[in-house]
Amino acid sequence: MDMKRDYYEDVRLFSSPVVVFWFVVLIGALYIFPLFAENYYVYVANYIAINIIVATGLNLLVGYTGQISLGHAGFFAIGAYGTIILMAKAGLPFLLALPCAGLVAAGFGFLLGLPALRLEGPYLAIATLGFGLTITQVIGRMKLFGGREGLHAPNITIGPWVIDTDKEFYVLLITLTIFLLLFMRNLIRTRVGRAFIAIRDADIAASTMGVNILYYKTLAFAVSAFYAGIGGGLYAFVLKFIEPEIFTLMMSIMFLAMVVVGGLGSMMGSIAGATLLCWLDLKLRNILDIPYIGDWLEQLSKTWFSITGVSNIQFIVFGTIMILIMLFEPLGLFGVWIRTKKYWRTWPF
Amino acid sequence: MTDLIQMIVSGIATGSSYALMGIAMVIIYKTSEVPNFAQGEMALISSFFAMMLLTSFNLNVYLAFSLTFLFAVILGCFLEFAILRRAKEPNVLGMIVITIGIEMVILGVVSWKFGAEQKTMPFPIDPYDSLFIGDIFLKKLDVLTLAAALFLMAVLFLFFRFSKLGLAMKATQQNSVAARIVGVRTNGILMVTWGISSLVGSVAGLLISPTIMHPYMMWDPMLKGFAAAVMGGMTSLPGAVVAAYMLGIIENLFGGYISIEFKTVVAFVIIVAVLCFKPSGLFARHYVKKV
Amino acid sequence: MKKNLMLLVFVSLAFVLSLAPTLFAEVGVTDKEIHIGQWGPQTGPAAAWGSVARGTGAYFQWINDNGGIHGRKIVYHMFDDGYNPAKTMAGVKELQEGTGIFAWACGVGTSTGMAVKDYLAQNNVPWVGPAAGSLNWVNPPQKNLFAVYPLYDGEAKALVKYAIEKMGKKKVAVAYLNDEYGKNGLRGAQEELKAHGLATVAEVSFEAGDSDLNPHVMKLKQSDADMVLIWTTVTHAAKIVGTSKAMKFEPQFMSTSTCSDFPLMMSITKGIWEGVICATFGELPDSDFPLIVKYKKEVFDKYAAKEERWGVFYYSGILFVEPMIEALKKVGPDLTREKFITEMEKIKGFKGLGAEVNFKPFDKNDMYSRQGTSQTFLVQCLAEGKAKKLTEWMDIK
Repeated sequence: MDMKRDYYEDVRLFSSPVVVFWFVVLIGALYIFPLFAENYYVYVANYIAINIIVATGLNLLVGYTGQISLGHAGFFAIGAYGTIILMAKAGLPFLLALPCAGLVAAGFGFLLGLPALRLEGPYLAIATLGFGLTITQVIGRMKLFGGREGLHAPNITIGPWVIDTDKEFYVLLITLTIFLLLFMRNLIRTRVGRAFIAIRDADIAASTMGVNILYYKTLAFAVSAFYAGIGGGLYAFVLKFIEPEIFTLMMSIMFLAMVVVGGLGSMMGSIAGATLLCWLDLKLRNILDIPYIGDWLEQLSKTWFSITGVSNIQFIVFGTIMILIMLFEPLGLFGVWIRTKKYWRTWPF
Repeated sequence: MTDLIQMIVSGIATGSSYALMGIAMVIIYKTSEVPNFAQGEMALISSFFAMMLLTSFNLNVYLAFSLTFLFAVILGCFLEFAILRRAKEPNVLGMIVITIGIEMVILGVVSWKFGAEQKTMPFPIDPYDSLFIGDIFLKKLDVLTLAAALFLMAVLFLFFRFSKLGLAMKATQQNSVAARIVGVRTNGILMVTWGISSLVGSVAGLLISPTIMHPYMMWDPMLKGFAAAVMGGMTSLPGAVVAAYMLGIIENLFGGYISIEFKTVVAFVIIVAVLCFKPSGLFARHYVKKV
Repeated sequence: MKKNLMLLVFVSLAFVLSLAPTLFAEVGVTDKEIHIGQWGPQTGPAAAWGSVARGTGAYFQWINDNGGIHGRKIVYHMFDDGYNPAKTMAGVKELQEGTGIFAWACGVGTSTGMAVKDYLAQNNVPWVGPAAGSLNWVNPPQKNLFAVYPLYDGEAKALVKYAIEKMGKKKVAVAYLNDEYGKNGLRGAQEELKAHGLATVAEVSFEAGDSDLNPHVMKLKQSDADMVLIWTTVTHAAKIVGTSKAMKFEPQFMSTSTCSDFPLMMSITKGIWEGVICATFGELPDSDFPLIVKYKKEVFDKYAAKEERWGVFYYSGILFVEPMIEALKKVGPDLTREKFITEMEKIKGFKGLGAEVNFKPFDKNDMYSRQGTSQTFLVQCLAEGKAKKLTEWMDIK
């Protein structure tokens, strides 16, 4: 059913007019959403959209090129600080500062890509992890970046349009997100994307086929870092205040978890993974308000655990969900989706 | 001069707890090729288990510690048996995410049960008692950690080299299908590996907890242990130990002479530098991949 | 055309009418209830601070069971943000826009508070007593935000002054955490030393993640200081004092109110904390100050969970909101935010568990119009976590 018959079908952005139709409907729905939703949900949507951007970028690196990164919070921080500083100190407008900061992050990504040429597995994990920790440490020590006292985000103005509410920011953010996602989809379907996949599957074989490993591996790091940088730049304006402690190792780990839980090497997977994990992260704190279960948990805490630590149940639930998804579906949420689709198509057999 | 020697001695003391965590990570990686991110938290729950035995049940220290070691072994075996073995068609990244999930669950359980307030564990040795050799001081607890690290390294090294079980573990690591064909029960081997690793980790946890205990106490030792294991080559026990001591000493010298501000991250910078020249770590033979 | 105009009028009329209820009554206030919110880390690395929020909860319960405030009960919405500003923002928006919160109390953490500061200011929601001593709250001052926590540099000044004038110390070293909290302490110490014609002999900074403190303490020892001012986390403070003892380096240690929970400090240092001098922001939990005794008996013993400890963090959850309750009582039955803020501004010489609280009418050039406290006193830790009062309350502007 998904067979490709010629090259142009393979590189096409949408596989059929039906898909185009649904795509347009979805985009429309996304733009209408803030008119109906409460401000809080718009904020949540913003938060999720940013994580989707970062997860898609990381997926290019992890899912398509077969590398690993535990340092994406570092690129995220570079993007956030870069955007604010370029705006506040250099006076650039937001729409210029954001890609510039993204490019700075991409530059760091390129540098980190160089040792990655020789490293893999846990070695690469530790090298990237070290990068993430070092970046926040350096930022925390430098006066230019406000040290540990943090920085305030200035207001965004685009022409006559002053963006100061979540809903206005949402419109900007969702436009950028759609643009970045389409760009990524294009990138993966072209020559570059196929080179990435070839490197993932067998890098030596790829290089004998004429894929320039040096170029494509560092490019994967740079593009991935660029996405993280853009995400960071946008995040700074969602929070309006940043300080180095925000960009922890836990954040890097969560980015990686989003990609893996969503499904390696699938864009829909990254979107689903980022949405699910962010939503859980924001919502699980209300776990004690669920009728019956909440009361039962409270009772359980009183008898066996401690009532002061009862909020930690959210960690347990979060971890369990991650474990279960990975145990039963190594392809992550994307795998679940494929399975359900197949099940319906072939029903009742 | 005294300062220099003192820094090296302090570095060795610090390196010991990294070494223990490093050994624990290497053992699991050796057989299953999974970098175990739950290692720190496995040690954490064992330490809190020991504290509970000591303070709530008023057990004798030695009995409590023996029970803790037993608990650690069972915990390791259980995690392998109940969770990791159940993974369908596992890939390395999936396994990493599973260990991160385990880490979160254990962290949640410990904080839920014991709360977040700092505690210490009763211990026969006062954590702040020290020995003096001339002007050089060394905490007694650090001496014990050092001894434990060297002892465990030696025992495990001999175990992997000479015992039947150890050889079976090696065989499992190198080629699990072939090992199964010649009659090695690879599943059982993996379980035992997790048990041993958890035991080593719990020793590290028990030696950290007399100073201070809180749910996040194992993060730093775990990361540094992981870093040391990577630097040593991820599959080599002596490598992990040597690298751990190197890290401890470098950190102390760097903190003493260059910059105390960047002491925590210098370890990672050095590792990146080392890995650039020796991509598989200092002590592992470079594995040449074939098409 | 006319028809369209009619329609427009109707629509706008309907719109105004639908808004009307919110115009007359204040957000978060009904005939029976006042909604007050707070965030506090119950999970994550800063979770030890979470007892502040639980202390406030117990205090509000006690107020409700004693008749509430002018017939209204306080509905307390506490949520866990895990010390992650993104989650703080999410929780505050959810509660503010969903439930409707009249005012926010405390809130642990500088970065978490900074994330929501502008949002609360834009909506003019009162916020009383952020549980972190940061200059950011009052510099520049903001109409809706009232700080109760004393500024850290003041505490440092008081300690250094005492060391120099009463104890004759000359060589002062500072061990500080590399963040705003630590830097404020360092700045206070530097200024006070300068006023006496001295300077620090060593300034050693700590990162929150440091676990091996040997090199740091060696630096302190090499400086040969006779007084070390510790401005770090509780965990680091315990390790610094312990490692110093292991090195046979025994100067006078002094520390901030964060580490003034002597029973806790004694238990995690196994008794080495004895003799350390701390600044405090309130009467000590174990003192026989009448209000402390009363709260301990009526609030803590009755409403706290059995694992809870009557420590500095827990009771500061009460301390920070006392002025808020005072103002709520004074406003009377007709409660609005405008009136509440006016009453807060009128608070003069208010004495609860902590230092004297004074606010002034809003003046954007005077940070003391919104910084309520500027007093501290010094205590010394004795055996078994008992405390000896070294000074009376003193002014430290």
